[in-house]
Amino acid sequence: MYRVQDEVSLLRASLEGETEAWGEVISRYKDAVFGLCLGFLRNRADAEDITHDAFIRAYVNLRRYNLEKRFSTWLFTIAANLCRNRLRYRRNHPVAELPTQIRGGADPATIVARDDRHVEVREALTQLPYGYRAPLVLRFYNDLSYREIADILSIPEGTVKTRIHRGKAMLKQRIEEERDRP
Amino acid sequence: MKPNEIDDILRDTLRQEVAETAGALSGLEEQILGELDERRPRLRVSDWLRQMLAPTRGGRIGQLSVVGATAAICLLIGFFVAQQVASDGNAPGIRLTPSRATDGSQEVLFVLPALDATDVSVVGNFNSWEPTALSDEDNDGIWTASIPLPPGRYEYAFVIDGRWWGQDPLADGYVQSFGEYSSVRYVGGGDGA
Repeated sequence: MYRVQDEVSLLRASLEGETEAWGEVISRYKDAVFGLCLGFLRNRADAEDITHDAFIRAYVNLRRYNLEKRFSTWLFTIAANLCRNRLRYRRNHPVAELPTQIRGGADPATIVARDDRHVEVREALTQLPYGYRAPLVLRFYNDLSYREIADILSIPEGTVKTRIHRGKAMLKQRIEEERDRP
Repeated sequence: MKPNEIDDILRDTLRQEVAETAGALSGLEEQILGELDERRPRLRVSDWLRQMLAPTRGGRIGQLSVVGATAAICLLIGFFVAQQVASDGNAPGIRLTPSRATDGSQEVLFVLPALDATDVSVVGNFNSWEPTALSDEDNDGIWTASIPLPPGRYEYAFVIDGRWWGQDPLADGYVQSFGEYSSVRYVGGGDGA
């Protein structure tokens, strides 16, 4: 593990060209960024690509990061913008979707053993429009505040609250419809 | 289903999903650092330029030469952009100016005024929605990029300091997707087919 522990020192060291420090930043944030990308994109290969690109882009643009602001918000904004670009690209270059599992995910035994509720939520989440899915992922996976979600998605805070409320209602409805299906 | 049950299920599901697939991230640090190392020569050039421009006791003449040359280049580019912008009689300060190239493509100039911005790029279906940076060499707040495009219909948007700006005043039209606008531009009368 890299010797410097606090985040600001790590970022300063990265700015001075100590790539080892940037390696530590990646270790700390890679799961959070990957989870965001996977939630947004619903495709493992794309999520891996974008996670990689987000850390490259963040490093290249690190001089533009304002140290007074929260680093995670800045990093997540970069990842969210890259995800949005990839979704636009996918609109014209679609890939086959496997709704109940993430492409290339767990082995079949794990899938069979998985709680049915999670399968239902995954499917419903994949079908949810991006505008509702993205705030839900940032709220329930990344544990962000409404304000931070608003900053990352460039939408008003009130819209974030509305979309999370409506997104949850839509998810719940889809899950219940699925359960009621004979 | 209880009112807050969906919160817990959602949280669990998203975490489980990542836990199942995050093994793919092993070695990500090495991969990225390796890639950054490969880019290092380019970074070193900028470091060298920064050092040259930094005030030191010695080598003042050499530094001034670099400053002078940079200023001259910026002036030339600024002059070129100002001419392009001034040639527009329809809109204040924004212009997409096609000029024909020999292979049928047209050099399309994307121009956007963004006075306080530090990073402006254009994304569109012509670059697979991957940002192409606009530059503002003379620091006048007018950002430009020239991109050769074959005839066709193009959807695009500007990204200003990470914020989506999908309504270019000079666009031929707009489309809405993912809850936001993108601009549409036709080059050479193409329909994007």
